[in-house]
Amino acid sequence: MKREAIERLQTTVAYVVLGFLLLLVLFPFYWMTITSFKTEDQMRSLVSMFWPAPFVVENYTQLLTKTDFAIWYRNSAAVAISSTLVATAIGTIGAYALARLRFLGRAFLSSATLITYLVPPSILFIPLYAQIRTMGLADSLAGLIAAYPSFTVPFVTWLLMGYFGSIPEELEEAAMIDGATRFGAFRRIILPLAAPGVLAAGLFAFTQAWNEFLYALVFISDVKQRTLPVGLSTFITGDVYGWGYLMAGAVLTTLPVIVVYTYLQRYMVEGLTAGSVKG
Amino acid sequence: MATVAQLPVERARAPRPRAGLRRRLGADWHLGYLFVLPMAIMVIALVAYPFCYAAYLSLTRKYVGVPPVFVGFENYVRLAYDGFFRRAVWNSFVFTFASVGVKLVLGMVMALVLTSRIRYSLFTGLLLIPWVAPTVVSALNFLWIFDASLGVLNYLLVKVFRILPQGVGWLSEAGTAMASVIFVNVWRGFPFFGISFLAGLKAIPGELYEAASVDGANIVQRFRHVTLPSLRNIIIVVMLLSTIWTFNDFAIVYILTKGGPGGATQVLPVFTYEMAFGAQRLGEAIAVALYMLPALAMVIIVLSRYMRRSHAR
Repeated sequence: MKREAIERLQTTVAYVVLGFLLLLVLFPFYWMTITSFKTEDQMRSLVSMFWPAPFVVENYTQLLTKTDFAIWYRNSAAVAISSTLVATAIGTIGAYALARLRFLGRAFLSSATLITYLVPPSILFIPLYAQIRTMGLADSLAGLIAAYPSFTVPFVTWLLMGYFGSIPEELEEAAMIDGATRFGAFRRIILPLAAPGVLAAGLFAFTQAWNEFLYALVFISDVKQRTLPVGLSTFITGDVYGWGYLMAGAVLTTLPVIVVYTYLQRYMVEGLTAGSVKG
Repeated sequence: MATVAQLPVERARAPRPRAGLRRRLGADWHLGYLFVLPMAIMVIALVAYPFCYAAYLSLTRKYVGVPPVFVGFENYVRLAYDGFFRRAVWNSFVFTFASVGVKLVLGMVMALVLTSRIRYSLFTGLLLIPWVAPTVVSALNFLWIFDASLGVLNYLLVKVFRILPQGVGWLSEAGTAMASVIFVNVWRGFPFFGISFLAGLKAIPGELYEAASVDGANIVQRFRHVTLPSLRNIIIVVMLLSTIWTFNDFAIVYILTKGGPGGATQVLPVFTYEMAFGAQRLGEAIAVALYMLPALAMVIIVLSRYMRRSHAR
């Protein structure tokens, strides 16, 4: 009897705390979304605070017709997709080699990968900027596409090293006994088995590239070459006027990440944790 | 038939020099080097070389568009006496330790709540959203929420709950600015703590708790003597990772306060950025970034030990 009461109390407390955490986490997104459907008047005079009335879409139409938002969207997509493809290809074969193949220097390279992954951009951004400038890629999307693998490659490699490690080695050995080469075993046996992991790693890399701010801020000064995070941040000019379309832009910038994330969620919830994942 | 007869002869003749290489470089050295080559090139070009170049630049007086002049440790010495730099160092430590501390507590609460009796992965998914959403978007959301005159936080506190007589300039007053940026960093980062601890909690065998209960341990004792020791490694890895990321967090502070008001939230990454691209003093800016390298290197080395161990498992 007493035990039951304690358990019921625990459950109640758990639900109350959970409700509080959900409110804390979701409120800013709710606020972002409803702000994007408000008129400037509603914001200025603090009316219809928690649900916009009237409910307008003019912030979105303004955003898409009167600002460079659509161009930035295309820029962000181009940069994130191309740098992700490069990083995933390089990271996948690198991870396979580091996880499975026997060669001199493998342990050293594994450590180097991990350390590279941990070196923060705030140390690298100035010299990397100098490097991109000498390569003649400053102020261009190509510069960002070249720079983003500096964090996505180590990340994808590190993540997939664990994934390849979890595929039983006997599968390759069996294929090689049947006459396949190392490469053949990798391509026909291991790669198909690892495909979900490779896809997940690639999508993680995509969200990182999509969200990246510091390099994009530093490398790009031309308005037409900006990516979404930098473009959005330039909407803050101090006047009230911008909040509606700024929040509309924020909603549209968040959407692709949320879509990708609904697929990735099970990878994040199961297993790919502390050691292996950075979101 | 003929091929079979030839085989042993060929094998004895041809591979001898290669067998030596194989022994020295490892059985799969061909494919191994081929596969790591692109990655190695990338890491050298984009991380190792820039890093070494940065170390060199920090020993020079370098302005944009002008060749560097070697000055030894002048930048570092000058910074040591620079009040703004010292303040940024202090702020960075406050920002980092306060954020990581609160994230640890909130993350643990999140994990415990999600394991206790609630099994809905939907909630886990929802709680992770701040971690995956673009940092810039989150920072902009809070810039709007914290807005002194039209922000919803002041509206709630003044008009709805009537806790405060008048609105607070959360980001424009020295007394609240640091707490506000810490809050946003915690908001973004605690789900990562939570999800990591959650995975750790799931791996603890139920028998441990049963045994503790049989021995008469109450819920607090079970947490202290079963949960915490089992999560020890995960806690260490997550805290060290978060320390690196928080210490180097640029976007949140840059967007919310730009280091203001009056330097109250000036942290090292923003300070570096402003010195490099505002004041155009590249050598000094890199010296700022590299000042924390010894501490950072220590954290990275310890962390990579732990991470490799948990990876190998």
